[in-house]
Amino acid sequence: MDSKKVDVAVIGGGVHGCSTAYHLAQKGFRTALFERDYISSGSSGRSAAGLRYQFGTEVNILLAQYNMKCLKTLGEDLNYPGDLEYDPAGYLWIAYSETQLEQLEKNVRLQNELGTTGSRVLNVREIQEVAPFLNTDGMLGASFNQEDGHINPHTLCFAYADAAKALGVEIHKKTSVTGIITKNGRVAGIHTDKGDWEADAVVCCAGAWSVEVGRWLDLEIPITPERHQIMITEPVERMKHPMTLCLDDGSYWKQCPNGTFMLGVGKEEVKDTSYYASWDYLDSATERILPKMPILSGIRVVRQWTGPYANTPDFQAIVGPTPAEGFYIDCGWSGHGLQFAPSVGRIMAEFVNGEKPFIDVSMFRYSRFEEGELFFEPACI
Amino acid sequence: MRETELLVIGGGPAGLSAALEAASNGCEVVVVDSDLALGGQLIKQTHKFFGSESERAGTRGFEIADILLNELEEMKGRVSVFTNTTAESYYRDTGIVGCMTNEDDYWCIKPRKIVNATGASEKILPFHNNDLPGVYGAGAIQTLMNVYGVVPGKRVLMVGAGNIGLVVSYQLLQAGVDVAAIVEFMPNISGYWVHAAKVRRLGVPVLLKHTIIEALGENKVEGAWIQAVDENNQLTGEPQKIECDTICMAVGLAPTVDLLWQAGCEMLYVPELCGYVAKRDTQMRTSHPDIWAAGDAHGIEEASAAMVEGRIAGLGVAHALDHIDRMKFGEKLGIYWKRLDNLRAGSTGEKIRCGVGKCTCKCWEVD
Repeated sequence: MDSKKVDVAVIGGGVHGCSTAYHLAQKGFRTALFERDYISSGSSGRSAAGLRYQFGTEVNILLAQYNMKCLKTLGEDLNYPGDLEYDPAGYLWIAYSETQLEQLEKNVRLQNELGTTGSRVLNVREIQEVAPFLNTDGMLGASFNQEDGHINPHTLCFAYADAAKALGVEIHKKTSVTGIITKNGRVAGIHTDKGDWEADAVVCCAGAWSVEVGRWLDLEIPITPERHQIMITEPVERMKHPMTLCLDDGSYWKQCPNGTFMLGVGKEEVKDTSYYASWDYLDSATERILPKMPILSGIRVVRQWTGPYANTPDFQAIVGPTPAEGFYIDCGWSGHGLQFAPSVGRIMAEFVNGEKPFIDVSMFRYSRFEEGELFFEPACI
Repeated sequence: MRETELLVIGGGPAGLSAALEAASNGCEVVVVDSDLALGGQLIKQTHKFFGSESERAGTRGFEIADILLNELEEMKGRVSVFTNTTAESYYRDTGIVGCMTNEDDYWCIKPRKIVNATGASEKILPFHNNDLPGVYGAGAIQTLMNVYGVVPGKRVLMVGAGNIGLVVSYQLLQAGVDVAAIVEFMPNISGYWVHAAKVRRLGVPVLLKHTIIEALGENKVEGAWIQAVDENNQLTGEPQKIECDTICMAVGLAPTVDLLWQAGCEMLYVPELCGYVAKRDTQMRTSHPDIWAAGDAHGIEEASAAMVEGRIAGLGVAHALDHIDRMKFGEKLGIYWKRLDNLRAGSTGEKIRCGVGKCTCKCWEVD
């Protein structure tokens, strides 16, 4: 058999793995990506796929500016023949209490200071203007950015994977990584159910499953998987409506370009990576959402599914090198990671190449938990 | 939330038999069926059944449905029926099944055990214009004619010379509809000769090694192009135009197993049973300890066998719920298997025997 040897092995065929592999190949690294199931089969393909400038910490706001710029033209830039369904229909964060409103105002102020000009705070009358079908009872105000929106999470992954492949990346689907090979105290390759690969570096983009990967190297990656559920309706006529997130109960919904509505609600959930949905979710989600969006009543829900969040103690990602030499991680995105693939895929390639990342992400470092340097992202659900 | 000992999904021959067997042994049963009336495909079957006396050979399908429904009527105290109700989801964490009645009433039920008797769905062929009005599945035509008394058109091209294609051709002729031809991709007729002989006697050509390549027409079927295939299954010779206003596809069935997938049952692809089916033990129990299956959902076969499989599944549930002791269970199981083996005997049953052998284990871990 040919000696299976690459420069870098990427674990995980979600959007971060695919983007990282693409950016590594651009820098000339011989790269192989390993995915246990199919591309986008994990949390990426299961996500609600919201895109936004609206974050509450400096690093996320700066990364988001880069992400949003890239995503606008990504299909063309990657020569992807399919449709990424990039759709800037806007994104509303709705406050139901003074504390929530103050936090949104603070987020918008920070976004504006850092150069995100499109974000603003809306009063109730202005909310009605951008989302005429909302019942605004109990709403105090909102933050809004018209350029935020939606993308198709599957084609987004495929676009990066295809572009990576075109640059020579090996994409190994249906291939489970089962261990990491070390030699003289540093990473030297991986074990899979289809044989071993030698590699000088390994990048873990395994989302909620990264905990297990870390254990192979005696690293405690502080991720708690959490099941999230989501539903989609039959398609109906497109209406003027931005993605809407309500801070009172974490309910959210949006209309996708094909006319379907995606909807969900925040709820105490099981802490595992299972894909099993629960029967009462339909009731709890519709009970919360229908009073806020009465026009949706009577639309049929056609599907319900789950995907795990990879939650960290401060709901911020873990990005960069680790104490295990040659082992890099990009995980722990706590439910808002899909849209960070453009910037962080590039940054992972820069790390592996020994460069300084183009945006400082040192606050995402693995060691911050030991050091007690947690920094909470206020804009996440 | 409604609760029950046994939920039977599908009220066709398998489901009704499972419900009857379980109820007669003392189980409380709920039957849901997506159709407006119980009976499944039996209610459209006007031909007399083959097989063995104990499986009502010589009786017409719709009459068998009436017999089963009469028996069910006698069990009324223990059996509740919901028609026009689709079981559309199974939730693994709780074992709850989501049901939709009349397309607008959603409700949930928590059964202790389930028999999945969801039957089969018709396969369709890809060819140009196969979405034109006038292109039907054979099951749809049987429903139109034999349940609602409506003929589908004046002249039909039948695709497929299996039993369904042959029987439906004969029924069309009986209803005064022309059958232009029966085309069959394979080099032989796979249906019973007795059915084939009947349509041949009435002058319908059976064109072996032929297939449909295109339906003609703008807004409805106005004809069809057919063509011969060679030994490598490639199109050969000149296409031939068939005058017809209806195209009927009788190209096989596939087991309906969506809920079994949702429930995480161990599934196997078994060509002899026409698709993915659940691995099962000799009492029709799947790898999921609370879920049984029977009938076409467990592999495409005749309704006679579906009824016996349903009996076995219902018996298995009654035993699992302690309504029947081990001895009596074993005794009855033996009798039902003898009847099933009898139906599957001989050369016609060879394919089924082979398929069933591939996916049947003697016993899951003893519970």
